[in-house]
Amino acid sequence: MEFLNFLLILCAAWLVWRRPERERLAFGLLVASCLLMALLFFVGARGSIVPGVNL
Amino acid sequence: MSALTEARLRAILAWVVIVLVSGPVAGAVFLGALHGDSPCILCWAQRTSMVLIALVGLFVIRYGPRPRYVGMVVLLGVFGQYMALRHSGLHLARDIGQGFSAAVFGAHTYSWSWFVHVAALAVIGVLLLFLREVAGAEQPHETRGASRFAFGLFLVVVGANALQAFVSTGPPPFMGQSDPVRLSLNPKHWVWSMDELTSPAPISLRGSWTVPQPEVTAAAADPASARGPLANLPTLAVSGWERVGVPLEGTLRGLARDSATGRYLAVTEGYGVFLLDSTTAQVLHHVALDGGFSIDLTPLTGAAFLGDTLAVVGTNKSWVLLRPDAKADAGEMWRRFRATDGGVSELGRGRFATVRARLQYVLSLAFDPAAQELITVSVPSERQKRLVVSRFARRDRMLSSEFVPRLGAGLAASGEHRSLAEYVVTGAAVAAGRLYAISAAYSTLLVIDLQARTVQAAYAVPGLQHPVGVAVRGSQVLVAQADGRIAVLERPAP
Repeated sequence: MEFLNFLLILCAAWLVWRRPERERLAFGLLVASCLLMALLFFVGARGSIVPGVNL
Repeated sequence: MSALTEARLRAILAWVVIVLVSGPVAGAVFLGALHGDSPCILCWAQRTSMVLIALVGLFVIRYGPRPRYVGMVVLLGVFGQYMALRHSGLHLARDIGQGFSAAVFGAHTYSWSWFVHVAALAVIGVLLLFLREVAGAEQPHETRGASRFAFGLFLVVVGANALQAFVSTGPPPFMGQSDPVRLSLNPKHWVWSMDELTSPAPISLRGSWTVPQPEVTAAAADPASARGPLANLPTLAVSGWERVGVPLEGTLRGLARDSATGRYLAVTEGYGVFLLDSTTAQVLHHVALDGGFSIDLTPLTGAAFLGDTLAVVGTNKSWVLLRPDAKADAGEMWRRFRATDGGVSELGRGRFATVRARLQYVLSLAFDPAAQELITVSVPSERQKRLVVSRFARRDRMLSSEFVPRLGAGLAASGEHRSLAEYVVTGAAVAAGRLYAISAAYSTLLVIDLQARTVQAAYAVPGLQHPVGVAVRGSQVLVAQADGRIAVLERPAP
């Protein structure tokens, strides 16, 4: 899934650089990538959302 | 200082993107290529966040500082810091030099991620602070010079990251791993897995740190020793009942007896500490500790005599040392006591650090005069099911040893999955090298040989109600209850 996320990022960067009129699509890819990143992080951190330290 | 024009902002951002991409993001790929370092699933997310911050920088370079770009980079900075702290929290408190995977310039990558996200937010803040007001929607800006180089570098470095991600984590639906193997371009060493989705750990806010404060009342919910984890225990009948002879402010939470003077030390809820005479009919000294001064002292739960020194402990293994003192400094003690009779000084307070009993509360305190060690016994929780005896040197209150007692000869578990961890020790005292520990759960007295580290004997003690403390008086074991009554038991022969 990390591989997929980097592909999304590459697509977004390519659109911004070479197809700047597709800003909405590029920003949508950016948002999707952020959500996928957060999802993967919470999958990895499922045992404890808050750090294992005294709060 | 002159205001920052949008054109200059975009020029600066191009260099920020170049530094961010060529530094931590490209450096991470080099760590993999040169040293075989592979990120774990949490590291991947942190690296992705840094890449996304750089991507937002490219958006600004192309389209100008639109509000949603600013909002996005702030969110990424905040979430990136959360991820770095959450991840570092697994390792920050380990011993010197220990951590996860490779270190760079003395810090591990998850720690560097925190620094990078802080720096990103700081840079954004400074740039916005000096940015001149910009006009509304504009056409995309041309990319040339540093801007063009930033785009090209970004694509190359992120492409390299994508390649590493493919090798290390695989195509969808495979994903990163908690303990990835080192990076190799040889496909036979590639590990593509979905273990993170299939392993059984539930979603939880605090994980193994979800440990509620122990309650004597809850622990004593089942006083029937016959249903306890040890089978066929002999009965030790209560030979008599006594009562604490003076009213104490608050419910009794612990009791100790000084074998040299016969005095008693009682602790109550509300941080009350009472030094009683040998008949318990007279209060010799009394203080109410300030539980919030200096350290977080959870409700008091145990007491012990260390010669003339009085030791009390809270459920979170935080301790306070006191001493009767006719010359107590009233000004100094004001900060430590909410109430005092003026005849007690506090010598200090601190926290017991345990290893085996980590993430466990205690409900008892004892003192071994032969070894000059304080002793606690951990109580189990849903998350941590262990009965651990922890010993601390009186001299520095550091951990001396810990052990999980074994069952001695003649003792047997009452079922295949039963264990000592089901007992909830709420009071303990030492006599003749043995720890007498009363469990509110299943109303059982455990006799633990401190040398052999075994439960030498165990006795069902019917008739107890919410036991909170144990004291030894000659040939007798006294079990104090929360209601102030004291059960007298004849101390069984070794």
